[in-house]
Amino acid sequence: MLELRDITRAYELGGERAGVFGVSLELPAGSLAVVAGPSGSGKTTLLQVAGLLDEPDSGQVLLEGREVSRLPEKARCALRLSRLGFVFQGFNLVPVLTARENVLLPLQLQGRPEGECTARAEDLLERVGLGNRAGHLPGQLSGGQQQRVAIARALAGDPCLVLADEPTANLDHAHGEPLMDLLAELARERGAAFLVASHDPRVIARADRVFRLEDGRMEGVHG
Amino acid sequence: MILLRLALRNVLRNRRRTLLTLLVVVAGYGALALAGGFMSQTFEGLSEGAIRGGLGHAQVLDPRALEGDEGQSLEFALPDGEGLAARLRQDPAVEAVLPRIQFMGLVGGGARSVAVLGTGVDPDLEARYMNVPERISDGARAPGGLGSRWLSARPGSREVVLGIGLARSLGAKVGTGLTLTSTTRDGALNLVDVDVVGLQDLGLKELNDRFLVTSLETATLLVEAGPARSRLSLVLKDPRDLEGVLARLRGLAGGLSLRPWTELASFYRQVKLLYAAIFGFMGLVLFLVVALAAANTLLMSVMERLRELGTLRALGLRPGQVALLLQWEGAFLGLAGCLGGLALTLGLRAVLNALHLEMPAAPGTSHGYELNIHLVPRVYLGAWAFLQATLALAALMPGRKAANLRITEALRHV
Repeated sequence: MLELRDITRAYELGGERAGVFGVSLELPAGSLAVVAGPSGSGKTTLLQVAGLLDEPDSGQVLLEGREVSRLPEKARCALRLSRLGFVFQGFNLVPVLTARENVLLPLQLQGRPEGECTARAEDLLERVGLGNRAGHLPGQLSGGQQQRVAIARALAGDPCLVLADEPTANLDHAHGEPLMDLLAELARERGAAFLVASHDPRVIARADRVFRLEDGRMEGVHG
Repeated sequence: MILLRLALRNVLRNRRRTLLTLLVVVAGYGALALAGGFMSQTFEGLSEGAIRGGLGHAQVLDPRALEGDEGQSLEFALPDGEGLAARLRQDPAVEAVLPRIQFMGLVGGGARSVAVLGTGVDPDLEARYMNVPERISDGARAPGGLGSRWLSARPGSREVVLGIGLARSLGAKVGTGLTLTSTTRDGALNLVDVDVVGLQDLGLKELNDRFLVTSLETATLLVEAGPARSRLSLVLKDPRDLEGVLARLRGLAGGLSLRPWTELASFYRQVKLLYAAIFGFMGLVLFLVVALAAANTLLMSVMERLRELGTLRALGLRPGQVALLLQWEGAFLGLAGCLGGLALTLGLRAVLNALHLEMPAAPGTSHGYELNIHLVPRVYLGAWAFLQATLALAALMPGRKAANLRITEALRHV
């Protein structure tokens, strides 16, 4: 599903060289993997490269067997829209759109028929337990509910890979645990690969595979 | 569709800022539409003044008459002006043909003589189709005062109306007897005794100092014109199809020149150019004000939404679609502003017109006029298109900035 080969992406941070260096990993479909490591270890950088939000300095990103890291921006946009889903630490819902409209967003951008979009958005919101909150704006939802909407939005376009950057970091224990249960369920149910960046032990505990990063280098793989 | 919805919601997001920008657009629209309506009234007044002031809707003349001065009376005349006038009157589109004889000469009384530019007209036709006679006979408001009147159509009457400057030079007033001197077509000196029956204020000193009008019969006698006429003024039944009618009448006019009034009314053209320049300058100022206000609003909106825009880009929105989103936001501002501007314009127009405000006399006219701002759909649409285009331009820079965001940096933005 996803394969990163010898990825290096370096940048200057406070006069020091940071990023990821020579990282490789492989992620099969339907699996939930966690990139673990302390703050500044390069988790987010790795996810951004894997999610085609950033270009690596060297190395290859293979998505469904195809090398995609050097594609032009238009093709990267199309791939992000059709094959990738994103869940962010800060939820990143569009505040002026309701929960339903946030989920509709990638579907409508894909140009799917209106009826299909609506039915799919309603179905996904039901699946994440927010069928009765579809008409609410993000500001009217709790943090856990917003993150569930973000997950529904990430899954809306039928992605093969969902990238989640610290999805539980802004959630308390009561909301973080069920959210991770949901992510694990969805990964199995939808057959999509989930790559989650986190240093939260609750998240790591649910992973099929754990990649440990330390100072931008892969220190170990578990599972 | 989702982009449209998103743009609309974004415009409504910071209502106070949006309202301030809208007020600028509303004021800009109102200024353009009201100024356009006022200009339309002014142009209508000026065109009416030019047409009814003697030009008619068109004139038939010898092309040489437009190029230089005549060496002697009727040198560039229409040899059979009366015959041509009779033929033109047969055309169904022609309401009336008013012949004119123009001559140079001297008018004197007692010890003083003054050079004049004289015109001979048909008093009856002039009274029916032109507005000069009406002003001359306007009682106490007439430049010649009470007793001032238009030329009599009675055969054998020898009367003149003088420009007020000419009358002053001669010390003449209504009832004064003068002698009018000119050369005939053959170059011989001729003179006619005339009585002053009215004075006219043409608004321009140079004209007032030289202007004299008399009956066609008197002018014919003075210059021995016979059937020749300097030019023929045409009044059409329906002037809306002026060019179409003129194209047909050119066949009747033979090798003579048939010119629409717009080509002959140089004062009208100059005023129109002046107004166009004023309107253009006003448009430029409004463009800058609206563009800066809208660009500022949209740019601030982009800066406040960096992370959101980064998210949209991460979800797959292309840079062009982000720029389009900003264009839609600008378009909504323009649309709402123009609708508000339209309401403001219609309201202000109704109030101002209802006040029956008296405007000062326009250059070249002696009477003021009542303000009546026209409703000109073309101007209203033009103002809308202008402001919409201004907002589209204003949205370019914020749109470009939003489109070129580095996604990773935008996502880091708090």
